[in-house]
Amino acid sequence: MNAPLIQPLDETLPGAVLAAPVTDGAGAVLLPAGLSLTAAHLESLQRRGIGMLAICPPEDPEALARQHEKIRARVMYLFRHTADEAGSQALLHAVLAFRQASGK
Amino acid sequence: MKPPSLEEMIGQVQKLPAMPAVAIEVLQSMAGADIDIDTLARHISQDQVITARVLRVANSPFYGLQSRVGSIHDAIVVVGLSAIRSLVLAASVMSGLPAIHSPGFSQNRFWRHVLGTAVAAQALASPLKRPPEALFLAGLLHDIGRLAMLVLYPEDFATVLGVAAARDCRLEDAERSHFGYDHSEVGAALAQRWNFPAEIVDALAWHHRPAQGMPGGLAGIIHYADAIAHALDLDQDGNQPGQMPSLDQDAVSALGLDWDSLNAVLAETRARFDSYEPLLG
Repeated sequence: MNAPLIQPLDETLPGAVLAAPVTDGAGAVLLPAGLSLTAAHLESLQRRGIGMLAICPPEDPEALARQHEKIRARVMYLFRHTADEAGSQALLHAVLAFRQASGK
Repeated sequence: MKPPSLEEMIGQVQKLPAMPAVAIEVLQSMAGADIDIDTLARHISQDQVITARVLRVANSPFYGLQSRVGSIHDAIVVVGLSAIRSLVLAASVMSGLPAIHSPGFSQNRFWRHVLGTAVAAQALASPLKRPPEALFLAGLLHDIGRLAMLVLYPEDFATVLGVAAARDCRLEDAERSHFGYDHSEVGAALAQRWNFPAEIVDALAWHHRPAQGMPGGLAGIIHYADAIAHALDLDQDGNQPGQMPSLDQDAVSALGLDWDSLNAVLAETRARFDSYEPLLG
């Protein structure tokens, strides 16, 4: 894996993945490594006065494209009988975008 | 041999174990009964399995606590009574029913799916301004009839699993094809036996056909939460078969979720599910 990026909290966006645990002054783990940060996590860290975070660097574009394609194929497989139904449209598009962005 | 009629199946449902006492007490406290929190915490703590599972979740990163919670009483104080009641109910239901070993059926995937539906329903509560605890409970129980059918008639259910795989159809369609009814009717009967509130029974009965549920009920929300759990593959690692349920367009429209709300629900569901996973064992 590439070296983590050390960046300010206020430059970190939801979806960024922690490369190292966030700890408080006493060394207690607040958030574990590998966690995909949500807006709520970022607000909580701001309230606790955390200034800098170690973030996993973005993957190389080809690997990312392969991952997106794998997720797209999986989502379309799940929706194979319902992709054309009107009631499924919003969920299909939102889930595809969310899963590709989160990598899950 | 002829499969059991719905009446026979419901008659057999009466033989399944009752809800654990601690879960009944939690339900009573949800219904507004005057139950002292210290007493409730002491009763929950007497069940070590439930306590251990609940504390694992309370100490997960989702809640971001600064120090470890070591008792149910402290967990109620720090995390909140509402969240702890939901977790106790989930742990009670999961540990209260018998383990099932049936070819083609994964109990782990079953519990992961219902937990995923419960957290999705809970995530929908906020934008829809509906009760999160009742939605969590309805999500947790929405497929419980399937487990009852499997426990009571394992050979018939093995046929159902085979039909679903061979036809690449939804399990509930294969249930209806074999039995003449599906798990939603059986689940509603079981929920009635367990004295769950009418809105929960209604949600279980109609989560696949929400148009027939009570007006303003929870069936339409569980209908969508079930679909979210499937779409996020919360029951598995994404390498197993699976398929989306058909969604009722009117029920989906009635929720009135815009793009931002739906995205927030997906993110909340995923994050909460990850933190609740320690409940599974």
